[in-house]
Amino acid sequence: MIQLENISFDHCIKCTVCTIYCPVAKVTHLFPGPKWSGPDAERLRIKNPELVDASLKYCTNCKRCEISCPSDVKIADIIQDAKWKYVKRGFFRPRDFFMSRTDLVGTLATTFSWIANFFLNILPVKFAMEFFLRIPMGRSFPAYQQGTFARRFKKRHKGQSAFPRQVTYFHGCYVNYYNHRLGDDLVRVLNAMDTGVRIVREKCCGVPLIANGYLEKAGKNARFNIKQLTSALMDEETSVVATSSSCSFALKHEYRNLLGLDNSAMFDRTDYITKYLYRMFESGNVPRMKPVHIRAAYHSPCHLERLGGVIYTIDVLKRIPGLDLVILHSECCGIAGTYGFKKEYYDISQQVGSQLFKRIDEVSPEFVVTDCETCAMQIEMNTPYKVLHPVNLLAMALEE
Amino acid sequence: MNYDCIIIGGGLAGLTCGIRCLEAGLNTVIISDGMNALHFSSGSLDVAGYDGKRRVVTSPFEYIQKLSKENPGHPYAKIGVKTVKESIDYIRDQLAAEKLPLFSNGESNHFHITALGTKKPTYLSQTSVYNERIKEAFERKAPIAVLNFEGYRDYFRNICAENLKNQSLMKDVQITTGLIKLPYYSRTEKNLHEFRSIDLARIFDNERYLPRIAEEIKKSAGNAEIVSLPSFMGITNSTTVHRRLEEMTGKLIYETPSLPPSILGMRIDTALKHRFAALKGIFSLGDKVTEASVDGGSVEYLRTQNNAETPFRARFYVLASGSFFSGGLRSEFNRLEEPIFGLKFHGDQKRSSWYSQKFFDDASHPFLGFGVETGKYLQPLGRDGKTIKNLYCAGSILARYNPIKEASGSGVAIAAGYFAAQRIIKECGKVR
Repeated sequence: MIQLENISFDHCIKCTVCTIYCPVAKVTHLFPGPKWSGPDAERLRIKNPELVDASLKYCTNCKRCEISCPSDVKIADIIQDAKWKYVKRGFFRPRDFFMSRTDLVGTLATTFSWIANFFLNILPVKFAMEFFLRIPMGRSFPAYQQGTFARRFKKRHKGQSAFPRQVTYFHGCYVNYYNHRLGDDLVRVLNAMDTGVRIVREKCCGVPLIANGYLEKAGKNARFNIKQLTSALMDEETSVVATSSSCSFALKHEYRNLLGLDNSAMFDRTDYITKYLYRMFESGNVPRMKPVHIRAAYHSPCHLERLGGVIYTIDVLKRIPGLDLVILHSECCGIAGTYGFKKEYYDISQQVGSQLFKRIDEVSPEFVVTDCETCAMQIEMNTPYKVLHPVNLLAMALEE
Repeated sequence: MNYDCIIIGGGLAGLTCGIRCLEAGLNTVIISDGMNALHFSSGSLDVAGYDGKRRVVTSPFEYIQKLSKENPGHPYAKIGVKTVKESIDYIRDQLAAEKLPLFSNGESNHFHITALGTKKPTYLSQTSVYNERIKEAFERKAPIAVLNFEGYRDYFRNICAENLKNQSLMKDVQITTGLIKLPYYSRTEKNLHEFRSIDLARIFDNERYLPRIAEEIKKSAGNAEIVSLPSFMGITNSTTVHRRLEEMTGKLIYETPSLPPSILGMRIDTALKHRFAALKGIFSLGDKVTEASVDGGSVEYLRTQNNAETPFRARFYVLASGSFFSGGLRSEFNRLEEPIFGLKFHGDQKRSSWYSQKFFDDASHPFLGFGVETGKYLQPLGRDGKTIKNLYCAGSILARYNPIKEASGSGVAIAAGYFAAQRIIKECGKVR
């Protein structure tokens, strides 16, 4: 029995536009493209699940097929769904297991961060990881920080409840384990706008779990987060914000569309940070800023494109005085979360991003700005430029 | 979000309008739901190809002058021939600046060859499709080789060649066919038959393989002076690729449009979007307008799928959301409508009167002339029957012209988009 809500593949008119704009199909013929893997093959899979094609695994779930589709087909969702419903996978996949358990690995590694960082960067370990775990040697890892952002938060940011307004911050794994500065900068920016920040207990949003096929675990995390954030939104006029574009996308759309959960109680008041900031700025709540005199190139991440959030980031950035902003042609950087950390996809990932790296070099900025943490890792690894989050730039512009 | 001008639809009409508005210094955004119909077009820009009796039009602008008197409801009549001409020249300059020069046969139409080997009247063609040298060689009855790439299934060289032989212009011309084998083939995992136009265009875009391709062309073309290829010569640097291939082979090469995705159309799309971005326009792709608030004869705000909470506001709005294919117009079983604003619709609501029983009817299908009813400045009428003052319509959403029968689709899109922009610029009082 075909469920009515799953027949968007039937709206496909076979125009092949999605395949033109697929960053993976552009660089390799191993992936036949979203049209074939999505709506075309879905018909066959519905008839007989044995007809599934293993090339599905090359999809990065960047969603660029969906934004280019003239017929509103949820191509990437069809592919993601099929990937884990039909493709047979091993009982225990150590690499994928550890790569997607960001909370488990992050908590351990941040407790002994110097040991973790030391070992992750020495050659024998890199060699062993490539050999046993199929994690490419060429890939550089971001450094773990000592302790988690969540634990440091109470000590470092006292008196948040004194502010007249409050937002709940979904910091996500990246800020929690790798980049405390981004979280601290957000608190500074919001405090400068007379807004206090609070955090609640949260689990990984589920993006790496979904990407590695642990949908049950992703659903468990999602239900936990929905419960926590919904109760945080209960008591007053507050919002939930996230500094990661992919976390925001998951909280809003993947929970609903891919995991089939009800997040309606938090949906309208959960936003990626720049959309929240835009609304505040529009209502007149703008922090005092000084000119920064920086030339920066802005790269728009795939998931933010899908979320429709790029216009807000650009608007917020344009309000920073003295920022010479070059908006790069929108294209995928290639890393796609954990995709670029896997040996079998590493070359594809690098090739997808090669155009972007070239364009960044042509602009020759002082900084690259992007909303997504893994885009930042990819760009920092492949270009000589330092990558900042829009919130970092805002914090730099704050008048003390 | 606050702008001077919000354009709904990022096709030929929307992009023309957007580029002109940005040039005049207006803060402009395009909201586009999926990619546009240029991806399915021939990539030549038609102004007016056929008259009411399906006779070929030689001088499109003279014809528009005549048409304006006979059919005052036609978009061209409202825009006026002077602005139509100005708009076509304008877009031609924009494309030339993006390294996509277009050929025109003076102020007259010329024919470009289709994938089926028939000829179609058009006003502007990419120089890799038609140019002075090709024109001269055709007239001189130089031998032609119609080539295809081995394994490529979306183009039939023999049908093309046979139909070409039937053209009066091609009488007594030696027409041969042949295949090109790409060296690249041995290095790909893909089955040759799975290659679409885009895969081949990417091989050309990467200029590395050109010498080998040239060698293959020379081998298959034999003594032919002119070579016909399906349109694969790259997307971003087609002019260079075309020139280099001609130099390497010593032959004249022309492209014919092939099945979608249309590489020729994508070149125009890429060039215009590049121009739009260079002027710092904001292009919101993959978003859809879900709600429009109209009060007292003007649009107050729009809401979109991705941004339901923050309304989009502007001084002026342009509706260039396309026809039925692109979703600008919608048909239910026994109802036709414009879904965003519910604008006054021109066209019979009864299903049986939408189409002709004959698919290739010379009189064409009535639904192609349906669309949004507009006043003399291309402003539509709202639900209450009053003109919406800050809304303009452009492109195939307009009623009372038949893009297929007249071969006027791209001309109306460009002219109406430009016309709307000029009106908005004037009213904003910001003309530079």
